[in-house]
Amino acid sequence: MVRFLIPAVAVLLFLVEPEFAMFSPIEVKGQIFYLVPRFLILYLIFISIYYSRQRAVMYGLFFGVLYDVFYIDIIGLYSVLFPLICFLAGSIVKVIHQHLVVTTTISVVLVAILEFILYQFFYLIDFTTIPLSDFLRSRLLPTIIANALFLMILGWAFKYLINARVLQRAREVS
Amino acid sequence: MPHFFFNKKLILLLIGMVFLVALISFSLRERTNATLPEQIIKDTVGVAQSIVAKPANYITGVINNIDSLLNTYEENKRLKARLDEYAAVQAEASDLKSDIKKFQELMDKSESLKAYDPIHATVIARNPDQWEEKIILDKGSSHGVEKNMAVMTAKGLVGKVTLVTPFTSEVELLYTNNPNYRVSAMVQGDKQAYGLIEGYDKERNELIMKRIDSRVTVKKGQQVVSSGLGGIFPKNVPIGEITEVSTDDHGLTKMAYVKPSADISILDYVVIAKRSATTIDGSDGNTSNEDLTHPQKGKEEAE
Repeated sequence: MVRFLIPAVAVLLFLVEPEFAMFSPIEVKGQIFYLVPRFLILYLIFISIYYSRQRAVMYGLFFGVLYDVFYIDIIGLYSVLFPLICFLAGSIVKVIHQHLVVTTTISVVLVAILEFILYQFFYLIDFTTIPLSDFLRSRLLPTIIANALFLMILGWAFKYLINARVLQRAREVS
Repeated sequence: MPHFFFNKKLILLLIGMVFLVALISFSLRERTNATLPEQIIKDTVGVAQSIVAKPANYITGVINNIDSLLNTYEENKRLKARLDEYAAVQAEASDLKSDIKKFQELMDKSESLKAYDPIHATVIARNPDQWEEKIILDKGSSHGVEKNMAVMTAKGLVGKVTLVTPFTSEVELLYTNNPNYRVSAMVQGDKQAYGLIEGYDKERNELIMKRIDSRVTVKKGQQVVSSGLGGIFPKNVPIGEITEVSTDDHGLTKMAYVKPSADISILDYVVIAKRSATTIDGSDGNTSNEDLTHPQKGKEEAE
């Protein structure tokens, strides 16, 4: 049961993301803020940290390809960035403490890095013309806040689910 | 050096990089149609997405309903005030309609630029990273959707179809950065002024209407609708209201800022308009992102 729950949650998050994206952009006092939901990659980072780096990279590749084909129409963007972020997360965790607060912070920082790389890429190919300061103010900051909130609410659930799977696997081995 | 070539990981990485660059440049190139594997993925994900979209749309619907319930009193007051006008306007409208019909019979002209067949569609997803302003609908070529059709809500125009698979279609919104995205529009008034909706002002959140004849007076508050002269969109689809008029870069024509009438931030149900009159394949600059409006600027940047 728990075995299938892990990919099932990933699929669910993948499908839920664009629904949340419909609420964005929001307008506060004439200022426009973009909130980019990054639930899936946060979950994959958690898998990478608490479960297995290799597994997370595989998931990252699979969902990255889906993301590219379905939403972006530029194949090879997310399909590289997702596994890369998972790989980074899995490597970082070897040198730090696995407390939930620490992992949450790392996840949010990694999402910020992802967002920044994407901005640079889209700037390079002329899809966007907004200057860096605007990007930081209207996109990066609100996105970081929104995703940090999401992770604070659901981070423990991810950890609980993944730990259940790890325990199950340990039992199967023994 | 021989050691280098035996490093399998490094070689794999290099091959991967080359493959990646090739893939990205392949997919960035203008393609009129999605390739078969892409279509399969798009349709499968699209079906799953539309299942998830149903409860999500329901919830947003409930939230909107509560929101409008809270404004009921105010709205009712305003509507009552306008009810008296309504009867008069309706009488006039039916009179005009019959007139138009008579004239059309006289002129033996049945095809109108205004006519279109509506295809109702549900928005199943919005590009989550929001770099390109794009939405995905649950109707595709098997329902009769074709590239370049106009997409609108009851309030006004929101965009056009850019890519079609059998069961989904992608819509590029008016809020796009693409400099080649143009809509032929006209300002309603005693004397109609024609122009092009070209681009979008990020800071003001308003569309920019350019190339308006400087001899025609255009005022703040006038309504802008599609003209149907671009050969793609039906005529008289509302676009927005003029908020400011100024002169163009070269001072030869006027330009105006247009506040869009449709709320583009939350969309759930839209109508795809299949124009009844002959349509043309209206693509400019191969619908790439290449800036045709300022060709020399693009070149300078490239150099």
